Amino acid sequence: MTKIQPPLGGSHRRPDAMAKATGQTRYVGDLALPGMLHAAIAVSDRASARVLNFDVASARRMPGVEAVVTADEIPGDNQVGVIFPDQPLLVTDRVRMVGDRLALVAARTPEEAWDAARAISPAYEDQPGVFDPEKALDETSPTLHGTDNLLHTFQVLRGQTDPDHLDADVIVEAHYEIGGQDHAYLEPQACLAVPEGDRITISASCQCPFYIQQAVARVLAIPLASVRVEQAPTGGAFGGKEDYPSEPAACAAMLAWRTRRPVRLLYSREFDLQVTTKRHAMVVQHRWGADKNGRLVFAEVEAVLDCGAYAGLSTVVAERANVSAIGPYAVPNIMVRTRIAYTNNLFGGAYRGFGAPQVSFAAEATMDTLAHRLGMDPLEFRRINLVTPSDPLTCTDQPLAAPQMAQACLDRAVKDSEEHQIAPRAPDSWRRGRGISLALYGINLHRGGQFLDRSSAVVILQPDASVIVRVGLTEMGQGNLAAVQTVTAAALGIQPDKVQVWQPDTTTVADSGPTVASRGSHSSGRAVLDAIERLRRRLDPIAAELLGCRPEDVELADSCARVSGGGPSVPLIDVTREMAARRIETISTGWYRSKPRVFDEATGMGEPYASYAMACHVVDVAVDPDLGLVRVEHVAAAHDVGRVLHRTAAEGQVEGGVVQAMGWALTEELKLDQGRLLNPSFTDYLIPTSDDAPPVTVALLEDAPGRGPFGSKGLGEPAFIPTAAAIRNAVCAALDVEINRLPLTPPVIVRALAGNHRFKHLME
Amino acid sequence: MPETIIIHLTINGTGRSFRTPPGRRLLDLIRDDAGQTGTKEGCGAGECGACTVLLDGLPIPSCLVLAASCEGHEITTVEGLVHDGSPHAVQEAMVETGGVQCGFCTPGVIMTSVALLENSIDDREEQGRRLAGNLCRCTGYEKIFHALEVAGTTDD
Amino acid sequence: MDLSVKDIYRPLTFDEAVAAFSDEPSMLPIAGGTDISVQMRAGKFAGAHLLDLSGVLPRSISADGGFIEIGAGATMDEIADSGPLRSVCPALCQAARKVGAWPIQCRATLGGNLANASPAADTAPPLLVADALVVAAGQGGLRNIEAEDFFAGPGENTLKPGELIHSIRLPVTDPPSFSRFTKLGWQREQIISVVSLSISLHLNDQGLVTKAAAALGAVAATPKRAPSVEAVLVGHSLDPAAISRAVEAVQNDITPIDDIRAPAWYRRVAAATLVERMLEEASGA
Ligand SMILES: Cc1cc2nc3c(=O)[nH]c(=O)nc-3n(C[C@H](O)[C@H](O)[C@H](O)COP(=O)(O)OP(=O)(O)OC[C@H]3O[C@@H](n4cnc5c(N)ncnc54)[C@H](O)[C@@H]3O)c2cc1C
Ligand code: FES
Ligand code: FES
Repeated sequence: MTKIQPPLGGSHRRPDAMAKATGQTRYVGDLALPGMLHAAIAVSDRASARVLNFDVASARRMPGVEAVVTADEIPGDNQVGVIFPDQPLLVTDRVRMVGDRLALVAARTPEEAWDAARAISPAYEDQPGVFDPEKALDETSPTLHGTDNLLHTFQVLRGQTDPDHLDADVIVEAHYEIGGQDHAYLEPQACLAVPEGDRITISASCQCPFYIQQAVARVLAIPLASVRVEQAPTGGAFGGKEDYPSEPAACAAMLAWRTRRPVRLLYSREFDLQVTTKRHAMVVQHRWGADKNGRLVFAEVEAVLDCGAYAGLSTVVAERANVSAIGPYAVPNIMVRTRIAYTNNLFGGAYRGFGAPQVSFAAEATMDTLAHRLGMDPLEFRRINLVTPSDPLTCTDQPLAAPQMAQACLDRAVKDSEEHQIAPRAPDSWRRGRGISLALYGINLHRGGQFLDRSSAVVILQPDASVIVRVGLTEMGQGNLAAVQTVTAAALGIQPDKVQVWQPDTTTVADSGPTVASRGSHSSGRAVLDAIERLRRRLDPIAAELLGCRPEDVELADSCARVSGGGPSVPLIDVTREMAARRIETISTGWYRSKPRVFDEATGMGEPYASYAMACHVVDVAVDPDLGLVRVEHVAAAHDVGRVLHRTAAEGQVEGGVVQAMGWALTEELKLDQGRLLNPSFTDYLIPTSDDAPPVTVALLEDAPGRGPFGSKGLGEPAFIPTAAAIRNAVCAALDVEINRLPLTPPVIVRALAGNHRFKHLME
Repeated sequence: MPETIIIHLTINGTGRSFRTPPGRRLLDLIRDDAGQTGTKEGCGAGECGACTVLLDGLPIPSCLVLAASCEGHEITTVEGLVHDGSPHAVQEAMVETGGVQCGFCTPGVIMTSVALLENSIDDREEQGRRLAGNLCRCTGYEKIFHALEVAGTTDD
Repeated sequence: MDLSVKDIYRPLTFDEAVAAFSDEPSMLPIAGGTDISVQMRAGKFAGAHLLDLSGVLPRSISADGGFIEIGAGATMDEIADSGPLRSVCPALCQAARKVGAWPIQCRATLGGNLANASPAADTAPPLLVADALVVAAGQGGLRNIEAEDFFAGPGENTLKPGELIHSIRLPVTDPPSFSRFTKLGWQREQIISVVSLSISLHLNDQGLVTKAAAALGAVAATPKRAPSVEAVLVGHSLDPAAISRAVEAVQNDITPIDDIRAPAWYRRVAAATLVERMLEEASGA
């Protein structure tokens, strides 16, 4: 067993930071090859139509155009659906959403490519579309695929589930309308495809090179081994580069295959906003009851996800939403139904939190409303109902390893919120409110996605005692390189700067699944530890020889091998030189896979996740009562992280997650009209600026070890989940109103005040 | 093909001439013609700040500025902040504090930050307002502010 | 991505620019480029023949008789920090500091902001309030256009073909006792105004309003003065009754529409609120 040692939990410089700060890091847009062509995509501007005729001949003749590709020229399957084969790479006779691809163009300059793509405009016959997810489930609605629009239903049924028998002293019924969100990573989608004989190399801004490998092999009808995908430095992702990049990559690959030249595809911001996947909009109906002592008696949840036109990862998102609908509360009787509806809106995909933020928003809002009806303090009401060591079961009847962390996070966030006196930034005349929200986060992939949950690592020990590490999980800003570097350095007892972690490449590591579900450091770290354990079977005997001890007594620390318990030591470099001299194998592979779990999909009972993390956010807001403006003044965020691997990276995850969630809660509105986004620019899709960002007090609680390397737990998503509900609860507390929708834009807030607003006569 | 024009300007201390189409954006001149790809394009519409460079010492969105308008002017990019192999105090501070995550906003954030310090704008609230044109989706800005604080004290 | 430009003329002096433009009014002037580049990128003006004003526009801010003259090429950053302007027309400095964010302010010009004639142009309300003159340069020399007559509709101004903005002149013989600008959007920085407002007031020793000027942005087809507000203020002190009359009156001055940024009703509420708050501030000042 490897001992815990530095640099664990420290804040050494992230390995990728200086190259980024000096402009040396080469993102896809910075790569250009001789003879490279530029790709563009002709897309539908209709959400629902039959494609009547379709002429690309004139586009082919436009200046600079080298190729125009349509569906009939695809050598393999015209299919890019991640889970269900419902999404063609190129449509032929029917479009189901704005942004459906009609044809691909390669030209000498990006301008020429996009001009030609825009010139391709088929004759359409508009068909009735459906844009409301609840209506989409009506039998009479037009359907997108097959005979109805219901993609899937998930349930959690616990205790008494017959609605007629669910009664309580106080019952709250609420209807939540929760908007979607764009990832707004700063680097739009980007990839480069380079053909070479019977194989092809793709460099892509992505979270999962393996998904791209599969999609490209499928579309080109070539073996997986013929597709090399390297993850390029990735300028933010947040889920938006999990499933989606397979589509642009397949486009670039098609064009490269056809033209036999390198082809680069860069999305513009507008195009990216208009066509890529979004956080799912959801409608959630609640009926929750509590007894007069403030104990929750039952919770009934009906959630409908707006899947958009294609399934994408919607089932996986819904799966997580389904079991996250109750939060960290002990409720004896539960009836959750989560349905996914196809609509002609932009399609939903992976996004930080994976459905959990939406249902958590509803749950935490209902908790406040119930508390008010009971005349209780929302904080007290939560304390009464939290899972505890004596009542440690999640809504799926899974016992929590550390249920006490819910209370611990709550206490810490409340304390930090009270103690950190931040000078208010909003005027005194604004109303103040505080809101609380918790999250119970299932770490890693859901049982349904468990087949993806494996991870590969390669460790190469160099003669000078430095180490090359390759893992299958990606760095997209969240700090995976730093985490893997830290884990490797700690396990080998060396300085982090002796460890170089290189970006994933499908030719150097085996399929490790997507870097999502806060599994990056967990799964890649565990695989690295496995590789190091195997390496040490070869290293320890050599060290033992040099030290004159038994191999099992060798310990690595301070860049030395030594006899454990404080005996003699030799520099590690002596050991690695000796290994080199003896031609001992210094490359080692590692593997991680999670243990099988039991879960009954019909009832939702069992172990959807291997382990859990808790979080609590307490938010102070100020609200302009006349104009509905909101200023988030302070956020206290307490997280159950098991163990901190890299401190500033961990804090950065929380600070960034909070601000991103604040954008979702307040200003980021996807204005859709008949499936078309009306605000595809940062002029009107408003993500938070430096001026909006609140100070965040981050507490990283290390009391309950997790199953990640050295006891760490995933953090990327829990950082996002509680914030929006806490903001909503704070705004509602400030104004004494109940608002059950997101985002809380100023008109929404002013409308909610309508009855009491001084200028209500102007609101007609 | 449109006519080309000749543009003379100074990039990172070196005077250079370029023959370009008249509609070339300063951003493309820097990236494609001068080969300095540190400056990024995040929106092309002046909103994100990833393309921020210094024009005669002040930050400007290079995606909106025509290269032709920069005749005779001085441009500084993120690459130009490194002197004799030593990064600028702001670059050091961004790395030290953890202000760099995905790094795509970073060059622009650094350019505006350098201009803030050069103009002695050290009030945090004012810094927050002036940096509002440099969007960052990863960090929540906290560590960027911290970097400004650190660089502000090491700078003088 | 190159912008679709056929040609660009880079004059060496402002006079050369004026001469060229009078000869060929179909040219497209570009100053800071912060509006025009965005529009060109969206596909407008393909194949344009550009007239690059960036090096030749008057740019200084200087006192001239009873006026302060601001060169059309002065940037928002320069205007925001201008000492002389701050003492006579703080509202304009405040507005300039609210145009986009700092990198935009370092590039965006005053002339461009006016010529672009957006209903939400932030420098327009303070200039309207200050009875500014827009000095146009054409074949026949310079001519003054009252700011109020300058805006003709969204994106439309009353420059004649071949005319350029040379400068903006602010009368400063009688500076107001109160001059403010404020704007409202979902965020406080880097935001297009949902409503903007500027008010200037002359108050006498008794606290009576002797002169009032108010103007709003983003509530009509052009930035516009608010004559009803002005009328109910003049001759009164800024007591609650006067303020509430002004708050009612502003509704007669605006014709907001629903658009992607905000519904019309919200703009009405916001206009009322901003007028009230600004006058309350003035009454305490
Ligand atoms: C991200 C972003 C945010 C913005 N935020 C704001 C904001 O908050 N408030 C606001 O008001 N504006 C805003 N703008 C718009 C823009 O920055 C301003 O309108 C700016 O002042 C325009 O000046 P410019 O010099 O860049 O004009 P240009 O783009 O060069 O020109 C604009 C128009 O004016 C014409 N023109 C320019 N100069 C002259 C002249 N001297 N004579 C005659 N015609 C001329 C041009 O032909 C063109 O039609 C924003 C723009 C961006 C990109
Ligand atoms: S790329 Fe220039 S501001 Fe975004
Ligand atoms: S570090 Fe990713 S956008 Fe700022």
